[in-house]
Amino acid sequence: AFGLYFPRKEYLENVYIDEPAGVPLLRIHALKDSHEEVAHFHLCQTLIISRARSHENNWFQIREKTGLLYLSKSLDRDDFNMLSVGNWMPLSKVMLYVFLSSHPFQEKECDSATRTTVFLSLINATAPACNSLTARQLCFTEMDLSFHIKENRPPGTFHQLQLPSVHHLCQNLSISYKLLAAEGLPFRYNENTTSVRVTQRLDREERERYELIAKCTVREGFREMQVEVPFLVNVLDEDDSPPFLPNGTDTADAVVEFNRKEGTVLATLTVYDADTTPIYPLESSRKKYTGTIVTDDPWISETFRVEHIFDEIHFSPNGSQVRGTRHEYKLVLNKSISVTEHRYFQLDVLVNDTEFPGPERSVMLHFNVSILPVSIQFSNVTYQFTVNRNAERFAQIGKICIENCMKFRGVNITYKLLSPNASCYPVGILQGREDKYGSLYVNDSSALRRPECKEIQYTVQATDKQSRKHAKTLLTVVLEGTILKKEEDCPDSCAISKHHAECEECGGLGVLTGRCQWRQGSGKGITTNYSTCTPSIKTCPDGICDVVESRDPAVCPQDCTSGNIIGGHGKGIGNLGIKSGHGICYCFPRQNCYCEKDDIKEQLCDEVCKTVI
Amino acid sequence: LAAPPGPAGQDPRGWRVPVDCVRANELCAGEPSCSSRYRTLRQCLAGRDRNTMLANKECQAALEVLQESPLYDCRCKRGMKKELQCLQIYWSIHLGLTEGEEFYEASPYEPVTSRLSDIFRLASIFSGMDPAATSKSNHCLDAAKACNLNDNCKRLRSGYISTCSRELAGSEPCSRRKCHKALRQFFDRVPGEFTFRLLFCSCKDRACAERRRQTIVPSCSYEDREKPNCLDLRGTCRADHLCRSRLADFHTNCQATFQSLTSCPGDNYQACLGSYAGLIGFDVTPNYVDASTTSITISPWCSCKGSGNMEEECEKFLRDFTENPCLRNAIQAFGNGSDVNVAP
Repeated sequence: AFGLYFPRKEYLENVYIDEPAGVPLLRIHALKDSHEEVAHFHLCQTLIISRARSHENNWFQIREKTGLLYLSKSLDRDDFNMLSVGNWMPLSKVMLYVFLSSHPFQEKECDSATRTTVFLSLINATAPACNSLTARQLCFTEMDLSFHIKENRPPGTFHQLQLPSVHHLCQNLSISYKLLAAEGLPFRYNENTTSVRVTQRLDREERERYELIAKCTVREGFREMQVEVPFLVNVLDEDDSPPFLPNGTDTADAVVEFNRKEGTVLATLTVYDADTTPIYPLESSRKKYTGTIVTDDPWISETFRVEHIFDEIHFSPNGSQVRGTRHEYKLVLNKSISVTEHRYFQLDVLVNDTEFPGPERSVMLHFNVSILPVSIQFSNVTYQFTVNRNAERFAQIGKICIENCMKFRGVNITYKLLSPNASCYPVGILQGREDKYGSLYVNDSSALRRPECKEIQYTVQATDKQSRKHAKTLLTVVLEGTILKKEEDCPDSCAISKHHAECEECGGLGVLTGRCQWRQGSGKGITTNYSTCTPSIKTCPDGICDVVESRDPAVCPQDCTSGNIIGGHGKGIGNLGIKSGHGICYCFPRQNCYCEKDDIKEQLCDEVCKTVI
Repeated sequence: LAAPPGPAGQDPRGWRVPVDCVRANELCAGEPSCSSRYRTLRQCLAGRDRNTMLANKECQAALEVLQESPLYDCRCKRGMKKELQCLQIYWSIHLGLTEGEEFYEASPYEPVTSRLSDIFRLASIFSGMDPAATSKSNHCLDAAKACNLNDNCKRLRSGYISTCSRELAGSEPCSRRKCHKALRQFFDRVPGEFTFRLLFCSCKDRACAERRRQTIVPSCSYEDREKPNCLDLRGTCRADHLCRSRLADFHTNCQATFQSLTSCPGDNYQACLGSYAGLIGFDVTPNYVDASTTSITISPWCSCKGSGNMEEECEKFLRDFTENPCLRNAIQAFGNGSDVNVAP
């Protein structure tokens, strides 16, 4: 049980210089857990000033039974100055803690969990005349009229509208209150005491917010003034709803096939709860709502884990919106699974709403887990690639890939060429760290030029690192074309060429047919489609510095440069390469890149063209 | 040399004038009783469970003695040398006094005495024209131009813009930590006549308002994949002395009140705008939520979803940004070039 509690976290009132002892300041209320409880109020005898300095409380007292806070000793100018020292806020405020207990207070204790804070604004003036106060000041304090009431608790009085200090000081004024928009709601206003009462047990899952209006009328002779302020009641939640399954679904299929990587989410099941679950602090809510795998099999508990996330959703029980919680339990691979593993089983997860008092606090979720083996094999019987004899080193010939290789995750395949006849060995294979395929490239261009090398047979082997399973296939590389005479004075990198003509005249590292290729851009501002000279438009620039390109900075600096780029440009991911550029981009490998508009403009309009217009 | 007048200076009325906490710490270190009590208190607060430590008699005695020391009223200055050290000293004392769970905390910074009008005067000298004559132009663009004409402003602005828009490999779009650091340097070291004009320029069209929203490079410094709960965000901020201080300063200077004409404490717009700018580059970095020209809505990157029973408190925290008449009036007053006339 919660026990007694305060319906407000904070109270506020003004205190003036030289107000006489005995002036009532404010009424504090307590709500109960059970009818028999009796509330006792107690004031902590420390005044906190400016939320930093403290002083012994010599001026304020509370009535233990009624919760009326009053001035027990007049606060004179000296007291006021003392309490204001170091308080260089525009307004001096002191703070007091009020505690609550169902027993009379024995000691002058200051550390009970149930407490509320009273702020007293110290006004550097004597109490104002009643007729100088506005209706707003006469009727309400500056603090919002906002309360919280716990659900499933007995009814009780939780607020008094009348301000005790005003009532005491301005007895010749008639101040009356009304609670508007309360018809049909479980709140009653008592005109004699100006107190407000909750008349029945509230249920947050029915309605969690009540918005009423407090109306105040001040009469002074023939003058009448009215003020209205919002009066809000929030219903606090407790764990009184069990978990339930949407549409009764408690089973899901979880299939492990190509994706076998640690961290893969295999399946998700959802549990609803009409109660709220705070996401702050997160860990304590996770502990309150648990999901555990029920198993004796150590292999299952090592290989799988359950991840629990939850978020707020809304229910609408009778028109009004009420917050609830959606819990999601995800079955996740806790480690990568070998390609040879083959099993079927049912995995049960026990979800437990630990704070719900009834027996329905648990639900069982079922995952039908199928772990299928995958085979390491090549689909093509043989690979055949044709390579031009004029190709240069780092020219990309093609990709080698086992069956379904692009679907694999968490499977580490390495590709290797088993060496052929020793004399002709022009190609190599490379593989990036996360790449699922092997890239075939020219690694010895001199072998391409040798007439005795025509058709070379290799054996490619793909190996799964974990299971050591492997597959082999044949690869034929056919050399074709006649050897062209090399242009003199050509740079070794295509990227250096700045113009269309010089680009296509020359070769460079990575070219497939002996000549660089020109990419003509759109020429509009800074664009990813900039003009540039490249060994192969297919691979460079494509925004990715691939494993072959990264072997030599001269191959494709457009994708791989980490140096300066001069001119209008945007950098690529991880600060590598030119993602977008202005006009033509060209690079000196290991040095700078430049992006600029070609300075040879289209012909200026001459006299003839002007006359046409 | 004359001996110092007392542990802390006294003003003619006998009120203690706050000294900065680094200086107060030095004064305390010179007095054996003060320094030993201060050490005791720090040990009391270093424990995981602060409340039980403070219930200890020795800890309480240390606190009482320290109430009379210059450490007690000490404050820090924004952007001062050793600001972090100063704030660490401040909170080492003040965390022992408050429960650390107050909704609003008092600012550890000295009060701001300058006024917006000081900024307008300087700004008009820099731009070389009367603010009224530029009513048709794009104020946010003018602010960027003015910044580019000043070496310091230009250097630090391009510094944070390049840091915040640098793409990284992998899933992260940028280094948020470095971006925040660069933003803090900009707002700490560039005078308000430049930074305020960039942050609070008034706009009549969307392009201008979008430029204003983009001032702090929100894609890196502000937005995130998910919106955390505001109370969670506040908790993260309070775990850091610098962020906690800036948030407390914002609450002190921008907390709406009925007791002034402008809704701002002491009718001081400058103080509110300054403490708003002081939040940029921290977990609670605020920004304009959209490029609307008619209504200005400010919010940190958080929501009150998932607040449970703390929803009221969460909404209250969020409203101090989204529906704060003091902050809104201060931003509008800056945009209009109008300040409140306060008698000196």
